[in-house]
Amino acid sequence: MNCKKGIVKEMMPRWISRIRGSELLLVLFLLPHVRCNAENWPGWRGPNRNGVTSDTGVPTTWSATENVLWKMPLPGIGTSNPVVWGDKVFVTASEGRDQGELHVICFDRDTGRELWHQRLWGTAPTLFYGRSGMASPSPVTDGKRLFAFFGTGDVFCFDLDGGLLWQRAIADEYGPFENRFAAASSPLLFEDKLIVQCDHYGASYVIALDQLTGANRWKSDRPEVWLSWSSPQLVTNGDRIELVLSGSEKLDGYDPRTGSPLWTLRGLARECVPTPVFGHGMLFVVSGPNGTHFAIKPGGSGDITDSHIVWKNDKGTSFVPSAILVGERYYLADDKGIGSCLDAHTGKLIWKKRFGDKFTASPVAADGKLFFINEAGSTLVLDATQAGYEEVARNDIGEEVYASPAISQGKLFVRTSKNLVCVGSK
Amino acid sequence: MKWIAGCLMLVGLAALDPPYDPARELAAIAKTGPQGEGSAAAKVARDELAKHGVEVLPQLLVAMDTSNAVAANWYRTVYEEIVARELARDGTKWPVEFFKEYVSDAKRVGRPRRLVLGLLDKLEPAFRASWLPTRLDDAEFRYEAVGLALTAGDRALKDNNQPAAKAEFRKAFEAARDSTQVTQAAAKLKSLSESADVAQHLGLITEWWLVGPFDAPQKTGFAKVFAPEGKVDLQAKYLGQGGVEQAWKRHHETDTLGQLDLNKQLGTTREAVGYAYAEIDVPHEQAAQVRCGADDNCSVWLNGEKVFGRDQWLNGTRFDRFITPIQLKAGRNALLVKICQGPQHKDPEVSNNWSVQLRLCDDQGRGIEFNSINPER
Repeated sequence: MNCKKGIVKEMMPRWISRIRGSELLLVLFLLPHVRCNAENWPGWRGPNRNGVTSDTGVPTTWSATENVLWKMPLPGIGTSNPVVWGDKVFVTASEGRDQGELHVICFDRDTGRELWHQRLWGTAPTLFYGRSGMASPSPVTDGKRLFAFFGTGDVFCFDLDGGLLWQRAIADEYGPFENRFAAASSPLLFEDKLIVQCDHYGASYVIALDQLTGANRWKSDRPEVWLSWSSPQLVTNGDRIELVLSGSEKLDGYDPRTGSPLWTLRGLARECVPTPVFGHGMLFVVSGPNGTHFAIKPGGSGDITDSHIVWKNDKGTSFVPSAILVGERYYLADDKGIGSCLDAHTGKLIWKKRFGDKFTASPVAADGKLFFINEAGSTLVLDATQAGYEEVARNDIGEEVYASPAISQGKLFVRTSKNLVCVGSK
Repeated sequence: MKWIAGCLMLVGLAALDPPYDPARELAAIAKTGPQGEGSAAAKVARDELAKHGVEVLPQLLVAMDTSNAVAANWYRTVYEEIVARELARDGTKWPVEFFKEYVSDAKRVGRPRRLVLGLLDKLEPAFRASWLPTRLDDAEFRYEAVGLALTAGDRALKDNNQPAAKAEFRKAFEAARDSTQVTQAAAKLKSLSESADVAQHLGLITEWWLVGPFDAPQKTGFAKVFAPEGKVDLQAKYLGQGGVEQAWKRHHETDTLGQLDLNKQLGTTREAVGYAYAEIDVPHEQAAQVRCGADDNCSVWLNGEKVFGRDQWLNGTRFDRFITPIQLKAGRNALLVKICQGPQHKDPEVSNNWSVQLRLCDDQGRGIEFNSINPER
């Protein structure tokens, strides 16, 4: 049985309505015995927005041909990570001289067949980075709708069959983004809202859109901030859920239901890219290069710089890749290819290694393994269950990689500079 | 017999049915706008439109000629669906002549025209090659047309046909609006001993009077008012940064794209303000644009009125970064530009750029006609 948590949840009412009496008893008996190891990868950095999934069965070795289930060419450029829900894989891209030609594509998870492909115009293309264009932000889905944000200042909502449900041209409504490398922040879903961080040289803001209609639920201006490419994060602090945004030398906490500012921590880099990760009741924040790692306790109000820092460490910070927290350890590969592992509770360096080549992609983890993909397309697989540095494999996919991968249902989805590649056991 | 008569009547009525008029659906989509407004109705209209064939494409394309970015995408989803479906089957009677007329109408919005050109590539593959080189005055396709002219010039050079090469490069230079293409074409002309004035073509201001630096601790320079903002007096002397007396000095900028390096002209400094002043003579009153970029930031006054200012820091001087519409009067016009320099970035490796670039052009980026005036002190 192919057990997919998201699909099971979605199908449950119809499923149960078809079975009765002894059949139901049999199903209830069998349920705990089904090895349910398959997770979706619904947005930026996966199910928990931290690169980690409970998925199992992902191969640890592959090459340009070995364990490659399928490979499909992608149009244009982009560094958004693939998103997987059930049997569908979604990817965004952009192309054209100004990168204003936008693509949202859906592939069949098992065969790679293109199921649908929406081509749209971006409202206000900006300057851009040659590898990502307007398609740095990863789309996000709740299994019913797919939301795609682009550097052109557009948000699109589709049903999972590719039907457009609404569009917000927020660059038209609130002014074009002024960005050197195009907006890159990946939106997140919270309750019935889609939250988008829009930090740029002009009037910056964070905005919550109604998932059903696209209308504003709230908009909170960020007059004191400028350019950042970081993505928002949600953290749970007791009964309180906090929306966390990094950028402009600080980290800001907001109430995700109202957009009201809660707290600020100072000391980040001027321009922030990595997305904070949450675990052990702490928020782990990195920004660089030549910046600082922070582990902080969320919560509080006002300026929490002097009151909420658990530890900080100035060594080996990254400009682009986000960090990953697995168990008691906090791992990072910086842009220049130096990997490090810190004790999550103290910030003490456990090991430091030269991984090789440069990194843009953020690491992911599953089944006790860490996957670091460098720009040359080589993936370093590490055993995260070992106390020290334990290399499992190095796998070369044969193409450059700048996008973070996705893991879902025993497969690794790698967006290379040319293709979407599905890696899995044959 | 009655039933036969009834059938014939129905067939007759069906034959009298007017053709489908997509106006209602197109109008529903036109109502989409900010805040996701009109999406539900647009979805219904879109689905209805997509049921039809190529006969709705002309009206659809006319509707796509809109500045409503949201509506344009709704229309596009219909266009893409119909075109993909019709391309996959044989015997479709495409309105090719309408497509050619549409794609050639430079007054229409560029993006749907580009879509149609892509479709014509499939329907009439030879069309692009003969049509594109003629689009030198077409804002949407100018870049490609100029590129073709440059390529044709290179080809002529290879064939040792200098007159043809000069003609192609001249054509490219005159039509180009993209700064890279302008400089490329100019360099090619100059290599053939032909003149090509990039500054004039782009409307770059290169004749300046400069003064500064004035002291502006931290990032106070943008808001702080110094004497030149009240009145430009080229005879005046001012107390500048560090108590040094400052006076206006003339400067002719030789950078190809008019980038004025204030570190070189006023001295390397931090937390300061400098001013650049120019006077130009224009033949008649006209609408124009001032396009500028500065590091850290700039403010612009035209004839004593502030027309631009952006309080940003450490941004880099980028060509045409800011575009502001202005109205120039006939005769003398005075431009004053304030350029701020902030504190050194905490990372000493971050460069301490202090520069500005400014030009006056029409809405297509062609420099306006003007003469620089060198006012007497």
